[in-house]
Amino acid sequence: MKNINARENIAAYSFLLPALILLGLFLLVPALIAIYYAFTDYYLLTPDNRQFVGLDNFIAIFKDPIFIQSLKNVGLFVVCVIPVQIGSALGLALLINKQRRGNMFFKVAFFAPVVLSLVVISVLWLYLLNPSEGLINVILERVGINPQPFLTSPDQAMYTIVFVSAWQGAGYQMLIFLAGLQNIPSSVYEASKIDGANKWQNFIHITLPLLKPTSILIMITTLIAAFKLIIQPMVMTQGGPMNSTITPVYYIYQTGFTDRLIGYASTMTVVFGILIGIVTIIQSKVSREDDSK
Amino acid sequence: MKKFMILIVCSFLVMIIAACSGDKASSDNKNEVSIWVHTSKETTEGKAMQKIIDRFNQEYQGKYSATIEFIPRSGSGGGYEDKINAALTTDTLPDVFTLDGPNTAAYAESGMIAPIDDYISNKDDLLPSIMQQGTYDGKLYAVGYSESGVGIFYNKQMLKDAGIDLSTLPTVDDPWDWNQFMELCETVVNTYDVPAIDMGLNDKSEWLMYAFSPFLWSQGGSIVNEDGTKATGIFNDEDSVKTMSFIQDMVEKGYTTKTPVEKAFQTGKYPMKFTGSWTIAEMESSYPDVEYGIMPYPTSPDTNKLVSPSGSWQYAMSATTEKKEAAGALIDFMTSTESLTEISLANSVLPAAHSVVEEVKDKVSPQMNVLIEQNSKTAHARPALPKYPQVSRVFQQTISDLTYEKNNNIQKLLDQKAALIDKALK
Repeated sequence: MKNINARENIAAYSFLLPALILLGLFLLVPALIAIYYAFTDYYLLTPDNRQFVGLDNFIAIFKDPIFIQSLKNVGLFVVCVIPVQIGSALGLALLINKQRRGNMFFKVAFFAPVVLSLVVISVLWLYLLNPSEGLINVILERVGINPQPFLTSPDQAMYTIVFVSAWQGAGYQMLIFLAGLQNIPSSVYEASKIDGANKWQNFIHITLPLLKPTSILIMITTLIAAFKLIIQPMVMTQGGPMNSTITPVYYIYQTGFTDRLIGYASTMTVVFGILIGIVTIIQSKVSREDDSK
Repeated sequence: MKKFMILIVCSFLVMIIAACSGDKASSDNKNEVSIWVHTSKETTEGKAMQKIIDRFNQEYQGKYSATIEFIPRSGSGGGYEDKINAALTTDTLPDVFTLDGPNTAAYAESGMIAPIDDYISNKDDLLPSIMQQGTYDGKLYAVGYSESGVGIFYNKQMLKDAGIDLSTLPTVDDPWDWNQFMELCETVVNTYDVPAIDMGLNDKSEWLMYAFSPFLWSQGGSIVNEDGTKATGIFNDEDSVKTMSFIQDMVEKGYTTKTPVEKAFQTGKYPMKFTGSWTIAEMESSYPDVEYGIMPYPTSPDTNKLVSPSGSWQYAMSATTEKKEAAGALIDFMTSTESLTEISLANSVLPAAHSVVEEVKDKVSPQMNVLIEQNSKTAHARPALPKYPQVSRVFQQTISDLTYEKNNNIQKLLDQKAALIDKALK
């Protein structure tokens, strides 16, 4: 008996091994090194003169107005993008859930932006949103609205990025919602039909509650992805206008690789990582509490 | 059982580590040097470099030999610099490598590159801007092999149609000041009802530092003090305010725009474009029908001193190399008149030495000659600061922030930005 167990264990571990080694080498080890660097003054060009500086970096980043600004920016982004993106994903999923002619076309169309590279999407919208020649503003002008400085106004740029990101990402969540929708047994709807429920009541009392597990998964993945925002502002606004679209990941990248302050950048990664961790824990706690009700 | 597992894991790790530690780029033979460059083998620049290396190997046969490795960089310089940084950490730098002008100070200060004063034989011939760019703390650390420049490209037909006599346009010896230039913009804007000039204000990158800092130098201002330790009192002085007001006026009066239409100059939508020598090549290959000329930088009305930007990639010697003689000989060979001429002509870039200016003068277009003349007479290198990336970014943001209505108080904006630079320099 013991022998069989041992042999199974070997098999299990050897299957795990490649994944464990890769994860350890490229995720765990770098993460641990980053934590160590966070307490040093590592300058990229003088790797041998690394000095331990204690908590200096941690004190400095909380006095760094751009880092604080970037946290506020990404907070705004997350708060706006989650309802917009998940809402539209659910809407799209409901639209194509019914069997209709041409459904396949819409499925592909809604999913297409997900397949395209984020850089391509960003450049595309950069053209569409150009204030003098962009398609959007030309249309606005035709209907009598002044051309809008979508990406060049500090008050609008982040919302524009929210819109573009939601447009790009919604297709993916749509697919997951669709799978969730198709898992709801039709017998439940048939039962509610007998009870005389209308469409709205169906949606509120059957569809939404049964989509709960799917929604939680989508919430958590979207949230984490949203915190990592970097490509859209990098391509579309370079963090401007007036730092209104700089995000923590973008700022960390800039500090680490342009300014060469690896120590300082590592500190920001550690702090930002902890922040994301806290938010995720809160979120999963909240959704679990809902469940137990 | 457990021991066996650990053994397997360990042997895997050892294999991976062994696979990661590559060979040193530099070989053990005392007379064989290696050089890394940032272009790809297929570009005209890369081909010219390969030819120069071949000539070096022929000329120094039996004495020295060199091998070149091409490490193409991405648009912003990414790939190549990552490789340099990685090689630095693992102590595998080649004997000679290329670096971008603004990196000189940081590399020199960190002890990555060695002074090469003693190996360069034609220092008097090199353009002052090249020497300025490669010098840090009084020593020459790197030699640029080409130059770059910016001018105002104008569409001849469009200006003529707007009633401008082309023979009155400025030249390098007789430049216009900002006011004269703005009058020209006014005329053009009134005729065509589009921005007169695309100044690249949508490009929020090094371009803003590179192309707009000469306005400040023309006014007599500067970004940091001479020792490179402070910006307050310099970057927020009267000269800076005047310069920034000029740039702000250009935007506010609609002479230029922060969101230019793509390729507007090339396709004849805007009559002028503020751009560099690289656009000459683009015009030649893609827009041969557009007749255009180039005028020099407008100058500050207070000084009337023409200042133009400069800078480009350079060769430097790694500080850790044990083959200083051979590496020095290679750099000297690669920056000789013959080698520099070869690369200038092949890559259609501006020449880096006086003798090369003479060599290529008759072989390039009249437009190129304007930039060459402006460059050899008026070029100014960007400041040599180890913290250059931060300083440059603050300058870029200053230019970009200027274009927002909220920033009508230029003095206040500059006070803030100067404080930011001070913080970075600490």
